[in-house]
Amino acid sequence: MAKSFPRRLISRNAQDALAAMVDIAIFALATVGTYFAQMWDRPRSAVLVYLVGVTLIGARSGLAWGVTAAVTASLIYNLFLSEPLFHFSASSAEELIPLIAFNVTAVLTGAMAGRLKDSVKLARAAEAKSAYLLRLSDELQRAIRIMDVLRIARGSLPFQRVRDVEIYLIREDGVYSAAGESGPFDTDGLVAEQIGGGASGRRPIHMLKGSGGEIGFVRFTLDDSPAGDQGVPDLQGIAIILGLAVDRCLLLERLSESEALQKSEELKTAILSSVSHDLRTPLTAIEAAATSLKAFDSSLSPRNRAEMLATISEQCRKLNRYTANLLDMGRIQAGIPSVLFTEVDVVEMLGVVLASVRETYPGQEIEKQIGLDSAVVRANPAMLEQVIFNLLENAILHGASERPIYLRLMRVGGACMLEIIDFGPGIPANEQALVFEKFYRSRAAAHRDGNGLGLHIANGFTQAFGGTVAIVSPHFEGVGTKIELTLPLAEMAFDHVEALQ
Amino acid sequence: MNILLVDDEPAIISALSPVLRSQGYAIATADSAAEALKAAELQQYELVLLDLGLPDADGIEIIGKLKQLTEGMIIILSARHLEAEKVRALDEGADDYVNKPFGIEELLARIRAASRRLRRSDTASQEKFVSDQLTVDFAQREIRLMGEEIKLSPKEFALLEVLCRHAGQVVTHRKLLIAGWSDPHADGQYLRSYIALLRQKLEYDAAEPQLILTEPGVGYRLAAVPVHG
Repeated sequence: MAKSFPRRLISRNAQDALAAMVDIAIFALATVGTYFAQMWDRPRSAVLVYLVGVTLIGARSGLAWGVTAAVTASLIYNLFLSEPLFHFSASSAEELIPLIAFNVTAVLTGAMAGRLKDSVKLARAAEAKSAYLLRLSDELQRAIRIMDVLRIARGSLPFQRVRDVEIYLIREDGVYSAAGESGPFDTDGLVAEQIGGGASGRRPIHMLKGSGGEIGFVRFTLDDSPAGDQGVPDLQGIAIILGLAVDRCLLLERLSESEALQKSEELKTAILSSVSHDLRTPLTAIEAAATSLKAFDSSLSPRNRAEMLATISEQCRKLNRYTANLLDMGRIQAGIPSVLFTEVDVVEMLGVVLASVRETYPGQEIEKQIGLDSAVVRANPAMLEQVIFNLLENAILHGASERPIYLRLMRVGGACMLEIIDFGPGIPANEQALVFEKFYRSRAAAHRDGNGLGLHIANGFTQAFGGTVAIVSPHFEGVGTKIELTLPLAEMAFDHVEALQ
Repeated sequence: MNILLVDDEPAIISALSPVLRSQGYAIATADSAAEALKAAELQQYELVLLDLGLPDADGIEIIGKLKQLTEGMIIILSARHLEAEKVRALDEGADDYVNKPFGIEELLARIRAASRRLRRSDTASQEKFVSDQLTVDFAQREIRLMGEEIKLSPKEFALLEVLCRHAGQVVTHRKLLIAGWSDPHADGQYLRSYIALLRQKLEYDAAEPQLILTEPGVGYRLAAVPVHG
């Protein structure tokens, strides 16, 4: 529809020219006919022939052309075709009647033809308008977001004089452009433009009405061509259709927001119940040991007493690690700003982590192969410590076997890779993607220690450092898990400390 | 030794006070920054144990004021992940820190290290550092590990000397950079590299150091305890 519009403009001009030529031909033919009738001394026929011509022209081309033809016919008939020649006279009835007849007929037929033409023109314009509106509302059915509404509306243009359309939404905190520009839209410029005049003519504004009142407005951009040529666009109609579509999109938006809110509430409840369970377990052990010591202090054997005290301090450490993990989970959710990062040497950090792992799991054998003197990465020291500790602890808790846990640190291109290898049962393929989810516990590990946060935090922190945590399982004769922690090396890293000496 | 314990948590005060008294320390307590400053104005304390999360002021802000009022040492009680806070407190004049939650042995070890340095600074500069395994003669620049002499470069020696003089206490990156390069803004990679070299010479396993411990994001700590003498 839009594309065919300019082509029709050209053909209409050609049509007009052709119509004018036909009118002139009819007039010439009628003049010749009248001349011959006059020559053959048939004055009544002569007048009738001219009258037919004028009527035809009036009917074909409307009032203006009809009257022009009638006046010209009167003059030609009076001056050249009837006695006295070359002298205008309207003294006798015989001379006056053709004049009146020509002009009255021309006015009547012209007016009638013109009215007919105008109503045909109006009908055509109305048809184009309603076809446009129908198609627009049809296409807007598919719009889900307000951006879609704008895109579809713009896609339907140009139509008649409308060249562009902008949609603005009135929200609680200001006016927003539907084009997705961030922040509230500055309406001052708009108001100034409207007050400055001219704008209302070329850039008229119509309000968008939704179920709850005015929800925004739409601003059209019209071109400069005179209104009559292309028909007056029904801006109000377009605004109503756009208003309905925008209103529907706003409702959809609100609906999905409330659904998302409900989902996050459900998640929060699940997390809280998991957290309180994990907190209560060590607390129960502590409370039981402490109250036993208080109540039966004298009747307990020194060995029992020592065991209970050990339980208390061990469970306290566990609680501390757990609350640290919860805190870290919150930090991952909030996003970790890189201002917290400094240069950290992974080799050095490995020493720190090994010290605390050996303290926490005294019986655990760990063998290491460190192929680098230093491996400097950009990270937060405490977070990197947590990453390596969690990965090692995960291997100790879930990868238990007769064999020790192996640590290997090596350089891989511009990164360093820490491999943590256990020979435990391994992680089933269908669980490998899930172990990084928070609070995920494999079915096999459900009864074991751990809180389902260790790998989630290790992965979340590592991603913040620009690194990756990958799982290879099984990695050795159908058993075992290899965790690969890869971190990009900082540019400053020296390959060998000896280089300094 | 008399200690001022500043913490707004009654449970911490009631848990620590009896243990510290049983170790022969005199304990006074304060539960706010204002009270701590008032107490320090009235009496000299050799050690202040300062929790940074006080209700009426940022603990770091009162470190400077406490330093003006008292000659004693300040040990910060802080959460593990707040390295920036610890570094700031140490730069303000605090002498050491303990991560919360802590075992009592750890706290007592820090108090002992502080008290040693306090006594040593009384007798001006100390000439020798002697522990079970490590002996460092500062004047002669002689180092012995398990009786065996170790050769160190001047920079390595400068770093080890600062660590020994603060044995048991944390020494910040900044302090070590000043000691080795006279520039607190020197590249930290130099420091890491020289610490690695020191560890290769002094540690049984440089990858799992027992002597020169890393305090992530803050500095290093010499784990050796000097023998009396």
